[in-house]
Amino acid sequence: MPEDVRTLRQKKRLSINQLASRSGISIATLIEYEKGKLEISPSDLRRLAKALYVDEWDINPRSTPPPAPPRREEQPARPPRTSRPKEQPKEQPKEPKQKKAPRQSPPARDSQIAHLLTLAARFDIDQAALEAEIGKPLSELTQKEARHWNGLFMRRVAEEKPPRATDRRRAYLPEGVDGFELAYLQEQQEAAVPLHFTLFDGQTFQGTVVGFSPYQITIREPGGDEVTLNKLAIAYYRKAGGAR
Amino acid sequence: MSLGDELRYLRAFHGGGNLQEIEDEIGLEPGTLRYMEQRYRRIGEDDELLARIAVHYGVPVERLQFHRERYRKALSAYLHHAQESGAMVRCELRTGETLTGKVRWWDLGAFGLDPDEGGSLTVVQRHSVLDWPMTNDQ
Repeated sequence: MPEDVRTLRQKKRLSINQLASRSGISIATLIEYEKGKLEISPSDLRRLAKALYVDEWDINPRSTPPPAPPRREEQPARPPRTSRPKEQPKEQPKEPKQKKAPRQSPPARDSQIAHLLTLAARFDIDQAALEAEIGKPLSELTQKEARHWNGLFMRRVAEEKPPRATDRRRAYLPEGVDGFELAYLQEQQEAAVPLHFTLFDGQTFQGTVVGFSPYQITIREPGGDEVTLNKLAIAYYRKAGGAR
Repeated sequence: MSLGDELRYLRAFHGGGNLQEIEDEIGLEPGTLRYMEQRYRRIGEDDELLARIAVHYGVPVERLQFHRERYRKALSAYLHHAQESGAMVRCELRTGETLTGKVRWWDLGAFGLDPDEGGSLTVVQRHSVLDWPMTNDQ
């Protein structure tokens, strides 16, 4: 009996991330599959079966959409909150989609105020000037308002980038990511371009990419065999035949 | 190739032993090898320590000292400057080959090289680069 990919993944105790890594299918596509929004393509079905150690026919190609969260009207009634104003009785007839009266936001947290002051200081704005700009003392700010003003200053920081005392750059930041290679592999996989791999020991392999992770690349050789290459063993690779 | 990559290579070449076991055999503080294998910055200043590791793996200590100078950040700097200036890079690989070309992109694990003789982009795994022209600012 075929099962949904989500059920199988959970049985195997895998996160979406891990399954994406194993199968070479993007997380976004996996989520679409799990929600039943997309039917799993035959090639992805093969990859998922391999990654989950099941047969292809064990996977339901179109997952059952997960049950929608219960709508508010269907939820069991809760006892009224003590903070709810008494002039709004619970049994009041409601129009469909009637908006609730906005709740009063609690006073801003100390950390929000401190953050706001720090951000303002970057623009040489002291507390008095900040309060003048906001139009009220900081002590009267609500959490919502503090969030709004913090967001505003964060955007200003991002846009203006005020000069610092020392122009200290963190050099060579791309080292923190491995996105370029993965994007390249994704492109070659989608175009089904055969790649030619040279390993440390001089061995060579050729095939189209069927899946990859930060540590491995699985290719299908012209004869149909699939080979998983450990990236630590690879010296370099390029499109086969020297095509651009 | 950085000292970290070289140590990983040597460990794999000698059967892929467990880091903790190797540290015990050499008599290193726990975590020393793990730290050395994973660092991006220059490491391995202690020549006596390098000598003990070299003896364990049966290689000359000069080999480890050579890789000490070729730390990952230094390769990053080389690739970065070459990409910015559009200069050619020249990399000697562990396979014995030498690749030259212009850097199209580079990241944590690899870099894309447009070969100077033309042809398709070559994706070079950073750990396969044995040597490159070193300059004073690296």
